[in-house]
Amino acid sequence: MRWGMVVNLIKCTRCHACIAACRIEHFLPMGMNWPRLIAWETDVPGEELTTIPVRCNQCKDAPCVEVCPAEATKKREDGIVYVDNDICVGCRYCIIACPYQNRTFLSRDKDPGYFPGYERTRFEKAGRKIYPHTVGTTEKCDFCMERIDAGLAKGLVPGKDREATPACVNTCQARALTFGDLDDPESEVSKLIKEKNAFQLHPEYGTDPSVYYIDGKIGNAPSNIAPREEQTASHMQHLSTMEERAKQIFGKK
Amino acid sequence: MAEKKIIKTTCKSCHGGCGVLVEVTDGVITHIEGNPDSTTRGTMCAKGLSSIQHIDNPYRIKHPYKRVGEKGEGKWKQISWDEALDTIAAKIKEASEKYGPWTVATSQGTGRGYNRYTHRFSRSMGSANVISPGYICHSPRIGLYGLITGYGRLYCDYHGWGGVFPKTQISWAKQLEISSADSELCNWYIKSLDYCKNLIIVDPRATAYTSRATLWLQIRPGTDAALALGMINIIIQEGLWDKEFVENWTYGFEELKKRAAEYPVDKVSEITWIPKEKIIQAARLFAQDTPGVIQIGSSLERQANCGQTLRAIINLLGITGNIERPGSMVSWVLPETGLIEDVFNEIPLTDEMRSHIYGGKEFKMGAARTCNPDTIIRDFNKGEKPIRVWISVGGQQIVHLASTKPVVEGLKKVDFLVQVDLFWGPMAEMADIVLPAAHWLEMDDIYDMHPRFMIEAHNKCVDPPGEAKSDAWIFNEIGRRVAPEYWFKDVETLLDHELRKAPTTWKKFSEKTISGCFGPDQVYYKYKTDYWRKGGGFPTPTGKMELYSTVLENLGYDPLPFFEEPGESPNSTPDLAREYPLVLTTGFRSPFYFLAQYRNIPWLRTFMEYPTMQINPKTAKELGIEDGDFVWIESPRGKIIQKARLFPGIDPRVVAATANWFYPEAPAQGFRGVFISNPNVLTNADHQDPMYGSPDLTCLICKVYKCKPEELKDPKFGDIFTKEHGGKPWAW
Ligand code: SF4
Ligand code: SF4
Ligand code: SF4
Ligand code: SF4
Repeated sequence: MRWGMVVNLIKCTRCHACIAACRIEHFLPMGMNWPRLIAWETDVPGEELTTIPVRCNQCKDAPCVEVCPAEATKKREDGIVYVDNDICVGCRYCIIACPYQNRTFLSRDKDPGYFPGYERTRFEKAGRKIYPHTVGTTEKCDFCMERIDAGLAKGLVPGKDREATPACVNTCQARALTFGDLDDPESEVSKLIKEKNAFQLHPEYGTDPSVYYIDGKIGNAPSNIAPREEQTASHMQHLSTMEERAKQIFGKK
Repeated sequence: MAEKKIIKTTCKSCHGGCGVLVEVTDGVITHIEGNPDSTTRGTMCAKGLSSIQHIDNPYRIKHPYKRVGEKGEGKWKQISWDEALDTIAAKIKEASEKYGPWTVATSQGTGRGYNRYTHRFSRSMGSANVISPGYICHSPRIGLYGLITGYGRLYCDYHGWGGVFPKTQISWAKQLEISSADSELCNWYIKSLDYCKNLIIVDPRATAYTSRATLWLQIRPGTDAALALGMINIIIQEGLWDKEFVENWTYGFEELKKRAAEYPVDKVSEITWIPKEKIIQAARLFAQDTPGVIQIGSSLERQANCGQTLRAIINLLGITGNIERPGSMVSWVLPETGLIEDVFNEIPLTDEMRSHIYGGKEFKMGAARTCNPDTIIRDFNKGEKPIRVWISVGGQQIVHLASTKPVVEGLKKVDFLVQVDLFWGPMAEMADIVLPAAHWLEMDDIYDMHPRFMIEAHNKCVDPPGEAKSDAWIFNEIGRRVAPEYWFKDVETLLDHELRKAPTTWKKFSEKTISGCFGPDQVYYKYKTDYWRKGGGFPTPTGKMELYSTVLENLGYDPLPFFEEPGESPNSTPDLAREYPLVLTTGFRSPFYFLAQYRNIPWLRTFMEYPTMQINPKTAKELGIEDGDFVWIESPRGKIIQKARLFPGIDPRVVAATANWFYPEAPAQGFRGVFISNPNVLTNADHQDPMYGSPDLTCLICKVYKCKPEELKDPKFGDIFTKEHGGKPWAW
């Protein structure tokens, strides 16, 4: 069993609902985004610029797992790569090791509260009890493994039954996200990958992502896509400015 | 053990009415997600999900306030509900007695479940001066569809209930994929695309789905009527019209044929900037691959040629027979509760009320039941006092009306203005009394999603903050004080009254959460039955679908559609266009905001912090503008700042600015930054659609140039632009 996701780039409306769903599901602090939509340059005339939804690829050969000195980043039997935040020492090696920039360090300033300077909302407070976030550790998308585990325990099928399926997949109005078992040739994801000639982002990194893309006009050859520096620039700026700006806009004056 | 319950309710963060499940743990909302057992199948968008940040949001208005300083000075004193309501009632009575009930106006934002209260409230006081953004959003469609199908307005049948899905869909200035609007539903639309052969998108810029489309017609803003007439002409010239339908069920085909012949494809291509081949292909696909639907976006209603543009598109539907067939445009059968609008229709408009509708003599179609706000603003600025008391709920007229400066000056002259709102915004800063409103998570109410084929329930999940109250409660309480015969002892009785035809009660309905006429209960081909008219036919004077409208003719309008240039354009004002060389459109939707809403929701604001102006990289290069630069956009009326986003998907001659922008974080002075970035600072209220009064909001001309760094430090902008930001806007 290996859980995987297929993103349909032509159905995806870039609506960002997947991000909102993940924020609610995991009570994410303001400066934390597990899935993101990132700017992506293509070689398709008239569509030289697009955005694509990304999240942790749950790589089969995950460099983040290998570099973690505390063995806090682990890979499960079912392919899910996750961080044990009780063990994570905050060294951030994994952040450097992940070629996809899919990990974020939860520093204190990434958690100023929704409305900095004001009392935290009751949703935030309740969230900390249900889903603690440990400042000084690294976080990323974990394919909603709690949902999967709880669902499987009830005999449900991830990707088919809503309760066992990642939150972002459930909320997508465009039905652009499909979830399921990559090892099962009969699963929806396996069929889509085969029929639609799916591709992974930057396969040349050699990590064998479990997140696949279909129907995109971004060109199937990796050479078509933007150089990594470009992608990093827009991504890093996104994350580095948000907390500060949030404080400025929503903070107590 | 924590007490956990799941409450079924309905989202109205846009017009969608998505089914929602809210998890409440010990009185606190701990989760929101879509309800799989609803018409939207468990999906929700970012706006709806981020509703959680309305709860405990410190910027919410929590108590009634009265203004103690000047308008726009931001000085307030908290008062009790009793004082607020009694003061309002006294002001209404005084104005009514001294100057006539029509000097009391009721205004609202986009119809989000309170239309029936504003209209009932206004009528119960004896005034038909309801101010609504309807005239620039949806009302022209409702009215002009109504000329053909009476009440049963036309909607896209992409549900498959009649056994087929539309084969060809035209998404005309719409972007339904990112927000449900104007009675059309994102979720059903996207699903139906799986069965759609040809998706044709008419839009000046690339949208999320132009890459999914068979054909993208990149049109010059404001020329849509020419395109529709050009397509009609091609269809007629090539003999592709639906002969059976046209012959038996339409009126005025020959006249239309003649009119359309004035729009040969070469001329249309020149007007619209769309290559000739694409226009021909679109016309053929739509005429041949039937059934088809056309979703019309409200951008077309923010143009001064709006009435005739819509008439042209409706005629395009008519000659292709795309009326009342399964998979085409269909008028819905109502839910068992009947027409929710009867909540106000049961108080009829009297001739006296009608005769005092401002702008009613000029904009005869628009005056069916609302007045023209631009006329009111003009009258104020001429020194008159058309309105004495203005009760405003939800909407931000300052933001959405054309030409912000005279709007602010005009509104300052209103003797007494009340704003009911969730947050402090430009209208609240203009008010004399501000009342705190409840969010949909905090109220019991009925949601009508514009009258369509269903109604839904909002079930209260948590208490509103402070003393905030639902719109229904607020209207009922003021209503009880000024016109007790029309109002109810409490909200529950009011809701029961709204449901009386079903018959059901609020308590029962709130458990059911939805009542509608779905699937096989819908009726197609109504004109072939006695549905509208004994022996068949349409509910029109001629009994036919009027391609040539006898109703419009009697009102003194052209019965046949025509194209007219926008008030300012490279063609209509070539001299002006030399100074303002770029076409400016403001019609696009953002998936994170709904009109003027949600800049105060942190999660949503992270997606788009500043209003963004899209510009072609080629044009940007000529102007020395780089991605992420702050730029001035200037028209003869003024200039605003937006952030430039270099975007290859827009014509080099056009720029697209984000509409309806104010800065909730800006100080009260300057009405919360309403002059800084809102494109309506640039628009002009004087060129209006003769039927509806809609001004050119989405098609004008401008020039664009880079802001100097020191200009951004101007103290009047506060700290809005001063924070160092690096090169690019956030990825979105
Ligand atoms: S929710 Fe779906 S459509 Fe929206 S951005 Fe995410 S993947 Fe795309
Ligand atoms: S995407 Fe990055 S964080 Fe996720 S498994 Fe691969 S290397 Fe690790
Ligand atoms: S799979 Fe779960 S954790 Fe990952 S992005 Fe989606 S919602 Fe977030
Ligand atoms: S589409 Fe509209 S109704 Fe549905 S979740 Fe989004 S905001 Fe709410």
